[in-house]
Amino acid sequence: MDLQGQNGLMSTYREGWRNRNPAGIAAAVSIVAFYVVLYFEDKVTRYTGFAPLTGLAEAVGLRNRWYLYGFLYCLVMMAGAVYYLGRHGNSRYNRYRVGANVGVQVTLGFLLPFVMPLFGGTEFYASYFWPLKYDYFFPQTLQDLPVYMAVYTVAGSLVAAPILAYFYGKRWYCSWVCGCGGLANTFGDPWRHLTSTTARSWRFERASIYTVLAFAVTMTVLVAVDFFIGDAHPSFHAFVSGERWDDWSVKTFYGFFVGSILAGVVGTGLYPLFGPRLWCRNFCPMAALLGLIQKAGRFRIRVKKDMCISCGNCTTYCEMGIDVRSYAQTNESFTRASCVGCGMCAHVCPRGVLRLENDKTTKTTLPVVTS
Amino acid sequence: MSTHVVIVGNGIAGMEAALGIRAREPSWPITIVSEESDHFFSRTALMWVHSGQLDHRGIEPYERDLYARKNFTRVRARAVGVDTERELLQLTGNQDALSYDRLIIACGSAPRRGPWPGSDLRGVGHFITLQDLEWFEKEVYGAAVRERPPRADAHLASTTEDSPYLHRETATAKRNRPLERAVVIGGGLVGIEAVEVLRAAGKQVTFVIREDWYWPMAIDGRESAWIAERMREHGVDVRLGENVEAMLGDDDGNVRAVKTDAGEIPTDAVVVAVGVIPNTGWLTGSDIEIDERGGVVVDDSLTTSAANVFAAGDCASVRWHDGTQRPEQLWYTGREQGRVAAAVALGDDARYARGTWFNSAKLMDIEYTTVGQVESDSDRRADWFFEERGEVRSTTRIATKDGRVVGFNLLGRRWDHEVLIGFIEGGLTLAQALDRLHEASFDTEFVPPLVIPNKARNARSAPDGESA
Ligand SMILES: Cc1cc2nc3c(=O)[nH]c(=O)nc-3n(C[C@H](O)[C@H](O)[C@H](O)COP(=O)(O)OP(=O)(O)OC[C@H]3O[C@@H](n4cnc5c(N)ncnc54)[C@H](O)[C@@H]3O)c2cc1C
Ligand code: SF4
Ligand code: SF4
Repeated sequence: MDLQGQNGLMSTYREGWRNRNPAGIAAAVSIVAFYVVLYFEDKVTRYTGFAPLTGLAEAVGLRNRWYLYGFLYCLVMMAGAVYYLGRHGNSRYNRYRVGANVGVQVTLGFLLPFVMPLFGGTEFYASYFWPLKYDYFFPQTLQDLPVYMAVYTVAGSLVAAPILAYFYGKRWYCSWVCGCGGLANTFGDPWRHLTSTTARSWRFERASIYTVLAFAVTMTVLVAVDFFIGDAHPSFHAFVSGERWDDWSVKTFYGFFVGSILAGVVGTGLYPLFGPRLWCRNFCPMAALLGLIQKAGRFRIRVKKDMCISCGNCTTYCEMGIDVRSYAQTNESFTRASCVGCGMCAHVCPRGVLRLENDKTTKTTLPVVTS
Repeated sequence: MSTHVVIVGNGIAGMEAALGIRAREPSWPITIVSEESDHFFSRTALMWVHSGQLDHRGIEPYERDLYARKNFTRVRARAVGVDTERELLQLTGNQDALSYDRLIIACGSAPRRGPWPGSDLRGVGHFITLQDLEWFEKEVYGAAVRERPPRADAHLASTTEDSPYLHRETATAKRNRPLERAVVIGGGLVGIEAVEVLRAAGKQVTFVIREDWYWPMAIDGRESAWIAERMREHGVDVRLGENVEAMLGDDDGNVRAVKTDAGEIPTDAVVVAVGVIPNTGWLTGSDIEIDERGGVVVDDSLTTSAANVFAAGDCASVRWHDGTQRPEQLWYTGREQGRVAAAVALGDDARYARGTWFNSAKLMDIEYTTVGQVESDSDRRADWFFEERGEVRSTTRIATKDGRVVGFNLLGRRWDHEVLIGFIEGGLTLAQALDRLHEASFDTEFVPPLVIPNKARNARSAPDGESA
């Protein structure tokens, strides 16, 4: 083991709270309730006359509930990282990856956006890109951002992200940078084995994630069109960009359904029941896009010939529900669009069958006979 | 014309044969007879179910609708004989015999029982079958807590006394207190795995090995000492070169100690892991030839002495690269034999041919890869050995014969055996192999590469550490 391999035997299936027992269900219900209040606090206030999260945020000096959320997010992620590294921290890949991920979240995902407005700057999230952070591509937003930020976000989304994904796979983002992925990998780690690995779940994934991607792209185009012709066509403007969220527009629907329900309430709230990458696997438009680039790019998981004993550790611990064993036992090196390159399959494989590589072309070089 | 294929065993060999035939003959009726379980599972993965790292569903390589999707007929029963004349497979109880056009025997291994007095005591068991697993789980944890496999007991209605798939009472239940310590006998992989799961459960373990080192074929004295030291780091009481004489019981018939030539070791349970034997007792009396080891004798096309009867996997006695005839009890050879048996049953002129030997394993937390001839008894062979200390601890042993590399025995790191096989088949010298060793590295990202200092490169030694 030393620097690689699973650090002792895990007792995953002997721990009830990790296997949908009442404690696990209670955990899911609490996280869902938290997200419902977070996203729909104004409704809660309307019925109860009381704004729990905003009140708490103001009491601790965090200005609004989103900063409170950002702060809690960092705390939970750090606690999760301690848990994760306690189990898998013998591996440098795991240490560097989770360290980077938590570091990015604390600085770019919380401190910077919190501090910048204090000095009269713009609140800006440098670790999120289009199409995940879809509103950064709205012409209005780009116009309002300082020029260097606008250039950063456009270049980051359209140039840097795809190029990095081509050379290193989507893992550079999904497992090293992204806050959603970071939470899944730390706080969500106790439940990673619950991600469904069935062929049916894979069919669902493909149908749903590309639908969300198409929706995100369409919305971005519509909002851009609206920016230029909206004034002349008020009903088109209302359809695309109406802001009142109880009269549905494309934007409010996406924000409500994708941004709040799928990413938050379902995506995170149901960690303890369906595993931590529900959102990343099935709904995230950024993951969909980077995944397509990854398929065409250089990243792959290489399989050592005939060494697989079909034990199922890789498949069970793949948080994306990829049936890694099905490739390993047929000696097939592979690149799956959904693979976030967390490295866990290679880490837990007791026969060292798998390796993450940034080069699809390496082959066994047969030695020249010299005699 | 459709041909009825009957396969005894849904282990890796039987299942691979069934899938191979189905891939080419969508309409042949295929019946799979299995006593142990409804579904194909990875026997290699029993240890992880024990610790709770995997569940039963997780160690099944295919989804549970496989039989329906592939149109296999499942018979959950014990086969008790073959009438090769009338081409009938006989089953226990009053179940009708199955008439076959092709019969593939893939009935695997049974645990080798200990020869010592007291081996029948409650609390003495093995770690080979699903039923052994359940015994061992209950012995250690008091219960098999997770979902049992579907219809776990379906075969018990009619089976025979000599079946290796019977359930066993635990001493823990009888004694009415949790198990505290256990003894594992036998230094093969299964023994090491039993030790590891006992340690994972926080139990005291004594590991008794008759030989001076584990796997005397592959691991030499230095490596064995190195492994023993790492196991002791994990709190295992390793006893090398100690001979078991008897199991001692208490008044209730529970095991209480193991007696060896060095004294008595008090214990609550004993796992006997002294190897496996072909699970072919049920074939005695048929006219299918069985060798003295119990293996079903097959030729290179995996055909037995009876027409239309083939054998594959652990139960088949095949010809090895060294010319001897014996069973090969490995996962990947079982898979390959299953494929070949399928091809032959389909009428192809397929042969089972074994290339350069290789295998990998994990000995507690030590990664292990072996390729080629590393046996400590090969003659006229010199070994080059290097121990790496530091952040990564590893040992590298390269065997040479007449100036060419013939084998690699590698502990502590991950290696691509295909590249190493290339080195052997390409006839590299030791110096060339050392220069190119990095090409075979399969370590995960950010693991620092193995660096061999010049001084160590030039050191040479004869087999087993004596300097040349
Ligand atoms: C704990 C453990 C760890 C192992 N680890 C490794 C490893 O790391 N690497 C490796 O290469 N190998 C390993 N092995 C060996 C490997 O598991 C076997 O070589 C392999 O499972 C053999 O497969 P098989 O299909 O021949 O037989 P088996 O898997 O033994 O299957 C036998 C089948 O035959 C059926 N059967 C038997 N008798 C009858 C009967 N009379 N009537 C009806 N059905 C019957 C059973 O129901 C069963 O389905 C390990 C073995 C064990 C026990
Ligand atoms: S395939 Fe491996 S690296 Fe990719 S997401 Fe699954 S476990 Fe992580
Ligand atoms: S690749 Fe490794 S972890 Fe996955 S099934 Fe094969 S041996 Fe097990």
